[in-house]
This record gives sequence, structure tokens and C-alpha cells, in this order.
Amino acid sequence: MWFLAIRHLFSRKRQTLLTLMGIILGTAAYVAISGMMLGFQSFIIDQLVNNDSHVRISAREDFITAHSMDKDFFGPSVLVSWAAPPSGRRDNAYILFPGAWTARLAKEPYVAAFAEQLVSQVIITRGKFKAAANLIGVEPTQQSQVTNIQKYMTVGNFKDIGTGGNRIVIGDLLLKKLGATVLETIYLSVGFGEMRPFKIVGTFHLGVKALDESNIFGALADVQLLGGTPGRISDIAVRLYKVELAADVASTWNMLGDEKVQSWDQAHEGIMSVFTTQDIVRNAMTLSILIVAGFGIYNILGMAVTQKRREIAILRSMGYLPRDITTLFLLQGLVLGIAGGFLGAILGFGVSHVMASIRVSAERGLGGEHMMISFLPSIYLKGFLLAFLASALSGFLPARAAGKLTPIDIIRSESG
Amino acid sequence: MGINLEDIHKSFGLPPTSVLKGINVTVNDGEFVAIVGRSGCGKSTLLYILSTLDQPSSGSVEIDGRLVENMDIGEVHSFRNMQMGFVFQFHHLLPELSVIENVLMPALKRNLAQQKRDNALKLINEFGLSDKINRLPGQLSGGEQQRVAIARALVMGPKYIFADEPTGNLDSTNGDIVMGLFKRFNQEQKTTIIYVTHDPTFASLASRQIHMSDGRII
Repeated sequence: MWFLAIRHLFSRKRQTLLTLMGIILGTAAYVAISGMMLGFQSFIIDQLVNNDSHVRISAREDFITAHSMDKDFFGPSVLVSWAAPPSGRRDNAYILFPGAWTARLAKEPYVAAFAEQLVSQVIITRGKFKAAANLIGVEPTQQSQVTNIQKYMTVGNFKDIGTGGNRIVIGDLLLKKLGATVLETIYLSVGFGEMRPFKIVGTFHLGVKALDESNIFGALADVQLLGGTPGRISDIAVRLYKVELAADVASTWNMLGDEKVQSWDQAHEGIMSVFTTQDIVRNAMTLSILIVAGFGIYNILGMAVTQKRREIAILRSMGYLPRDITTLFLLQGLVLGIAGGFLGAILGFGVSHVMASIRVSAERGLGGEHMMISFLPSIYLKGFLLAFLASALSGFLPARAAGKLTPIDIIRSESG
Repeated sequence: MGINLEDIHKSFGLPPTSVLKGINVTVNDGEFVAIVGRSGCGKSTLLYILSTLDQPSSGSVEIDGRLVENMDIGEVHSFRNMQMGFVFQFHHLLPELSVIENVLMPALKRNLAQQKRDNALKLINEFGLSDKINRLPGQLSGGEQQRVAIARALVMGPKYIFADEPTGNLDSTNGDIVMGLFKRFNQEQKTTIIYVTHDPTFASLASRQIHMSDGRII
């Protein structure tokens, strides 16, 4: 039946070509749009996953609600109605029992590495200029195992922070904002605490503006000393062997203690929901294109069935079964789908390459100087399968209708 | 063995219009039979019931000792493919296939195209079409197309040939050629030929004529 299906398609060159073009363009659009969106998404996810931890354990957050203090003041059996209900937040700036967490993490089989951190809001003083920043106290070897920070160092080595000695690495945009230079000393203070000198030993560029102009990394012991909180940590950053387990692991650990445990995707829920919306838009758009192409196939095969009624009658009289006739027309749809899907994937690849060469930013980060385009094989496979599926579905109805035609009805209508 | 029809009735539409009214007929192997009668008397309907392309409203059709109603769709189609050939008034060639490809279409169904190719070429040669083997139907005259259709009907070496007004669309010269071919295959191969015609000259070539009027054999 392949032989006859191909001949049928070639006998209607213009219709076949137009339908094929529809499928090619639909598939190419899917590949190019998916490449662009997924390229952007994978870059952002890479930033979120690799610049931070897979799972973050941070100090407890406890919000005071209207009735959360009833029991403390009036006992369990009194129904309290507050004229001015209490509100507020009582949280600890520190993890209360970090030793218990680190002991547990050291034994967890899916934990690749973890790093204790103390995050403080600091005031930077350089001469008369003052600026606020986040000072993250880390043990540099641990931190390098948990994140890819070393990869994003633009000057110096992350491990130059050492384990003490007031050395820091800062975001390159913050350095620019301060007008400072590497190896210069700046002054940091926490709240009303005294200012202490810290030497800039390196800079990093994560490609996320908010982080590059506000983050500073220093040795954990130095940051603890600056805040007058020796031995305390506010966060534990955890890297897992499998990032896809992050959400499940975070949910499980959340039940273990009072600390807040969040996976990277839970922490960036807003961004992830934008991605979900993008995916919906992308798939809806592609589906619309393929539905149009599908209608093209439906139309061309529907017309073919009408035009080929005599041939159907003679094939049936020769002993061809109804399913042979269905196959004959279904194959035509599938040939269009396979050819259109294949050629569309190639065209999409070409368009993606052109897009990948478009300059979008002179700065490093955001995928470098060019548009981030994903060339994942799964995009091409999905594009091809969508074209194939659209063709199979839209070819099925006319093919089934052709299979149902009986030779005698056709002969009677032809001669009548 | 042959084909045996018993008390065949056929009606169409609503309210039902009776086209065949109690037909009893037997066609023996190797016969050369013409079904004749005026337009609308049920000749073609009888031919299509004899050839299994149509089913009667009531009555039984027995081919080579087997009741058609007891055969499943696969068996009927297989029998049609191997033992029956059809020739229609309007040729019904596949326009996108060449002469040789059209002739080999029944063989293609059984993946026998290679084995039947020599036979196809022989028939094409015998029918005077050897120089047009790769031509498309649109490049042939009406008479040539009908000869291709006959070659296609004969390529599997069928036991039965059914022809519905095979000369109806041809001039008398080509009509003579077509009927000559039928006669020859009936005599040489003992192929059972059953054809419908309203042309008395062509009907007279048959060894037996079945006369029909108003849905009955007279």
C-alpha cells in the first residue's frame, strides 16, 4: 500500500506540497520557539540550581496570629476575643541546633555536600560612601562543593577567603557601585556594631543583577565575629546527588524540626510558575499551528477519498479489504506527517542556529553574548512526534470513511 | 461446481423497491453467459450478486459448493482476488499507475507481483499493448484502456470473469476486440465469463443468454 499511497500523493502535487508546507512550518515553529524558551529556562534554572543550593535549611519563621497566644495567657479552656488581636513575627535569626542537622546530613545517602552559612545584612563603608549588602559567611571549601561559585569568579579564587582573616569576594556590580578595586579594604558593620576592615580578594559575576550588586562572601568565622554571634549559623545549603529529588527531600525534612526547609524550586515558586505559563503558551501556540496543518491533511485526504471513489471500488473488487483501503489513505497522512515532521525539525534546527547567533548582551551571564537556545534532542523528537500524531489523527477520519465505502455503492453512484 | 443462486430477492431504499424477484439460476464452470434485458431490469444487480460484490436481501448464493453467507469477509476477498476478475464499463484503471502496474494490482495484494509479472507481460503483448507498457491510462484510447482492464482481470488466472457492459463505452471495432478476447479466454482457458450487455450482437456471442425483465428471468 506504501507504493500506491506515494503515487496518490504525487498525483496531487500542489495540494500535497501545500499541506506539507503547513506541517513543516508548524514543526519548525515548535522547534524554534521551544528552543528559545527552554534555552532561557534552562539558563535561569541553572543559575538558580547551581548558584544556590538544591535545598536550603534556614532559621525558623513563626508568625503570631490572632489566637496563637490565647493559651499562654488564659489557659486552654477560655474562649478569647481580642479587642486588638496580637500580630507579629517571632523568629530566630539562627538555626537552634545546627549540630543535629549537620550530623544528619552527613549520614543522608542522597546528600552530596552541605555548607553552613551565616547570612547578615551589613552596611559597607568606603570613605564617605555607604551601601547595604548581604554578607554571607561560608566555609569556602564547603561552599564550592555546594554551588558553582568558583565558575563565576571574574577576579581571584573563591577559596582565597580562607577560614579567617577578614578577606571577602564581592559581586562585580557591587564593586563598581562602591567604586572600589580588588585588594582594597572596605569597612563592614552589622546594625550598631563596630565597623571592621575587610579586604576584597576577588569578584564574581553570577549574571543575576540583584545578586551581583548586593552579595558578599566572607569566611564564616569572620562573619560570626562581626555580628558578635560566634558559633551561630542561619542557613545550611545542601547539594543533592539528584536535583530532581530536591522538592521531596525538602518536604520530608520540613517535618523533622522547626527550621524552614525549602528546595530551590519551592524557593523560586514565582519564577517556576512563569515557566509553567510559558510552557502552556508555547504548547498552545504549537498545537494551534498543528491543528491548522491537521485540518489541511484532513481536507486533502477528504478530497482524495471523494476523487478516488472509482479506484476504491476497483481495488475492493480486486480483493483489497476495507482495512487495506483505510491503510492506503492513512499512509498518505502519515507520509505527510513523517516528511513534514522531519523537514520541519531540520528547518527548526536551522532557525534555532540563526537565533543562537543573535547578539543580545555584551555582558557575561545570561548565556553570554548571544541568545540562549536549547538544542535538546527531546525538542526535535517532540516536534516530530507532534507532527506525526497530528497527521495520524487527521488522516484517520477520511481513511476510515474510505474503508467504509462499498464497491457496489460506488459503482451504482458512478453509473447512476 | 460453478455458481448457484436460489430464490434471490433484492430491494433498495425506503419504501423498498424490488429489483430482483425470486431469481434461480446456475452458471456452470466454463460457461460463456450473457445477461440481457432492458435498462433497469436488474441485469447489473444480478451480476454483482453472482460476483459477491453485492448481497441479496434474501436467498442464497453458492460458489464452488460454498455458501457465500457462511464465508467471512477475508475469505470472500481472498476468493475475489484469486478466482474472480472484473471488467466495468468505465475501465476504472488507477490513473497514477502505468499499464503494467495496473495489470499487476491484483497480484500486489498477495505480494505475487514478481511471480505474475511474466503473465502480465504476456497478456499485455497478446492484447497489442506491448509498446505502451509504461504509459499512464490517460495516454491510452478507450479501447486500449478496456484491454488493460481485461488484462488486469485475467492476470491472476481467475476461474470467473464478470463484466458489466464491457463494450458499452467502446466503438464497434474495439467492442469486437474485447468480446473476441473474452471468447478466446473462455475457449482456451475455460474461464467462466458472465457479462451484462444490451447489445444483441454481443449477446449472441454467448453460449447461453439469461433474459431478464422486471427483476425476473424470462
